[in-house]
Amino acid sequence: MSERNPADDTATGGRIERERTTGDAVGTTDAETPLLRVEDLWKSYGDEEVLRGVSLEVDRGDVEVLVGPSGSGKSTLLRCLNRLTEVDSGHIYLGETEVTGPDTDPNAVRQQIGMVFQDINLFAHLTARQNITLGLRKVRGQSKTEARRRADSELDRVGLLEQADSYPAQLSGGQKQRVGIARALAMDPEVMLFDEPTSALDPELSNEVLEVMGQLVAEGMTMVVVTHEMRFARGGATGITFLDEGKVIERGPPDRIFDDPERERTARFFQSIRHE
Amino acid sequence: MTEREPADGPTASTLGRLRPSSSRPGSLLAVLAGIAFWGWLLTRWVTDWVLARAGLGPGAGENYLSPEPFEALAETFEETVAAIGPVRLPMNWLATLFDGVALAIDIAPILADGAWHTVVLTVVSILLGLVIAVPLAVLRVYGGPLRWLALAYTELIRGTPLLAQLFVLYYGLPLAVWLNDIDAVGRGFVPEYAFLIAILGFTINGSAYQAEYIRGALESVDEGQLTAARAIGMTRLEGIRYVVLPQTLRYGIPAWTNEFVYLIKYSSLAGFITVPELYYRASRVASSTFEYTPIFTLLALVYLGLVLTATNAMGRLERRVAIPGLGQAGGRQQGTSAGVNTEGETALAPEAVEGGSGSGSRSKSESETDTETDTRTK
Amino acid sequence: MDFVPVLAETATALPTEEVFLVTDGLLTEEQVADSLGEDWAFVYRNRWYLLGGTVITIALTITSLLLGFLAGFPAGVIEAYGGGYSRAFVRKSGVLLRGTPILVIMIFTFFVLPIGYVLGPVQALLDGIDYLLGPTPFTVPDVGEAFVAATLALGLRSAAYQSQIFRGALGSVDEGQMEAARSIGMSRLEAIRHVIVPQALRRSVPGFQNEFTIVLKDTSIAFAIGLGELLKRSNDLFTQQTTAILEVILFASLLYFVLTFSTNRTLDYVSNYYAVPGESS
Repeated sequence: MSERNPADDTATGGRIERERTTGDAVGTTDAETPLLRVEDLWKSYGDEEVLRGVSLEVDRGDVEVLVGPSGSGKSTLLRCLNRLTEVDSGHIYLGETEVTGPDTDPNAVRQQIGMVFQDINLFAHLTARQNITLGLRKVRGQSKTEARRRADSELDRVGLLEQADSYPAQLSGGQKQRVGIARALAMDPEVMLFDEPTSALDPELSNEVLEVMGQLVAEGMTMVVVTHEMRFARGGATGITFLDEGKVIERGPPDRIFDDPERERTARFFQSIRHE
Repeated sequence: MTEREPADGPTASTLGRLRPSSSRPGSLLAVLAGIAFWGWLLTRWVTDWVLARAGLGPGAGENYLSPEPFEALAETFEETVAAIGPVRLPMNWLATLFDGVALAIDIAPILADGAWHTVVLTVVSILLGLVIAVPLAVLRVYGGPLRWLALAYTELIRGTPLLAQLFVLYYGLPLAVWLNDIDAVGRGFVPEYAFLIAILGFTINGSAYQAEYIRGALESVDEGQLTAARAIGMTRLEGIRYVVLPQTLRYGIPAWTNEFVYLIKYSSLAGFITVPELYYRASRVASSTFEYTPIFTLLALVYLGLVLTATNAMGRLERRVAIPGLGQAGGRQQGTSAGVNTEGETALAPEAVEGGSGSGSRSKSESETDTETDTRTK
Repeated sequence: MDFVPVLAETATALPTEEVFLVTDGLLTEEQVADSLGEDWAFVYRNRWYLLGGTVITIALTITSLLLGFLAGFPAGVIEAYGGGYSRAFVRKSGVLLRGTPILVIMIFTFFVLPIGYVLGPVQALLDGIDYLLGPTPFTVPDVGEAFVAATLALGLRSAAYQSQIFRGALGSVDEGQMEAARSIGMSRLEAIRHVIVPQALRRSVPGFQNEFTIVLKDTSIAFAIGLGELLKRSNDLFTQQTTAILEVILFASLLYFVLTFSTNRTLDYVSNYYAVPGESS
């Protein structure tokens, strides 16, 4: 961990010092092949084509931010990655495993790909701690004490150990979302997906969530993030993918995409955001 | 962030519930009536099955008190009516009252025995019904093509009268013959075949209604909950089992209370297929003595006692398993949370206000469940 | 059924030759007997008798719901807006009626209440209507004691539930509506009458739908006081021909099902028709 507080950096839009760590307990890939590989993804709902041949590569430790106007297919793409939505055609690989393979167990895949939702979706009948232990116990088969220890360390990581026994309805939106992140982290995912994690929150509450995300970036977590928070995209992302109408329009490092986009469509989009 | 732990533990909350109720004379009376009612029923049952066999107490079905002094009192008052004249009306009432008391003492053992059958019939049926209803409701909501089967079952059962269903089972099908052939039926702890058929009928009937309540509650659980469960690697079934159902069954308690009350009341229909429950026993006595008014008044009181006990107990259960912050417990948490979530509480807010101006915690829980009765009901 | 103290056989007589003779020519008894067996032919032969019972069932449902509305709506308003003793009284009677089995209530109204006093005015009212309308094709039926007792029991019990429906619906109307109505100068009563009640009535349709089917099904309990409605008539039939028990009850159940099903669909339609556009009911 660097001596600077990474959280402050995200909030101020500064660049985050990244610790390049080799992820724990992975070993399925070498440095050459990307951790997450998406090839020619197609998806339609009825007549509406949401994804039209999307390809994407995310290396270990990368933070890929997906941006684009609403309805561009960002969220659908994210949900395809852990098969909450089934694709029509195309392939997704996580390391050597094909996520979209017919014999692949989606439940096993989902343990390796954590997800944080826009509408948070904490289990309403469980305390913050129980929200985390549920998956560990029922899916991982961990013992009660083991799961509890892990849950507490994750809650500590997001700074909510004191609220461990609170129920979702007793937490603020930002706290809830931090528990949501802890819940996903507890399953030891190789990749974390964030689906507009702050868009349901008030600005001052989203900061605490962004801080936690910045911390993850600093720890070297591989992340795919859909967000409208351009401060996070600038400060934390290693790559920006701009999607429109179900296609990848442009992809590159944040500085270039933000300041010198190649495509006119991309430039117009960032213009419109800035004017807001 | 301050500590948001609910300040009152189980003990504190129990005390908290008892305190306001005992401070009001009306509620105190209700508590005493409840204790007297259940004290009577329980001692009666114990006397009839345990003590009587051991040769203790007055013996099975025998009165604790003798009705004679009350009969004598009633007669005295009746006589004074003629003598006194002007204050004759209150004297007449007193005579009627003592007559009633004498009759109550006379038929109390019979009512207690009937109440036993009513209670067993209701409790067994609702629990068995729940066992059928949960998978039925899950099938209805998540079952794909099989949902039509569940739909047909619930609609058919809910579309026909309970009494007609009991007739089908009792008169229409040869169940009675089969059951009679089984040696165990009617011996020892195994009840008579009519009783078994009644349990079957109420279980089937109750399961359809309970499935509807549970379906409603299932659908009220946010879809995101299941998605989130799947996102951490749970199967669909695990998600339903560990995330959706625990919430559903909590939300379903008020409706379930109604079903419970409904079954208590409608268990009286089992009398038509000769099950010796409350109504059957009372009507037998009434048709032989022709004392309809006092006997059916007493009968109504016993039913009322059972129903109010059920609503009370379920209200307590609801408060106990309520999810903190979701407001089902009716504002017990006021002031402890910084106004984050009040969606649940606003729904109950008018209720909570009424609870304060009404007659204490008891009538509040009643009126809450009553509201449910009309919106989803039976 | 010997324990049921049937004191009065009601207005509806037992099947007569006349009833048996009515056939509509679509099917003959023999055809039914050939294809479905003698027991269904028995049901078929007595179809008009059973349909007559169905008419009584429907009539009882309507009178009970009407009484329930007439008593239940004001009770609901009192519970929502009334104060002090009137509300306490309505509540206590409500708990009493909702906590007692309908069977017991019905026995009460039949054996305990002096029905005769009620019966006279009801009959007089019906005769009055008959007199005013002149000779109509629908002659006013003789109302039996059992019918009045059953209407009273089902109606009062329904009132207790309907009051809860209306109380809930009134309470669900946003408080701002009352304030807005008062702000344009309406009195409290006017606001309730013109603003709150129209909204509340629409919202109470689903609850009322429920109540409708409950009352409809519970008319079968009038069996206990010997009223010749559908279930009682079925019972009369199958005690005549005990081999046809299942057939008779299934046929009666089918009639009940058709009634509840069609009422529900009709009320769904009514609910949609009167719904405020844009507001989900």
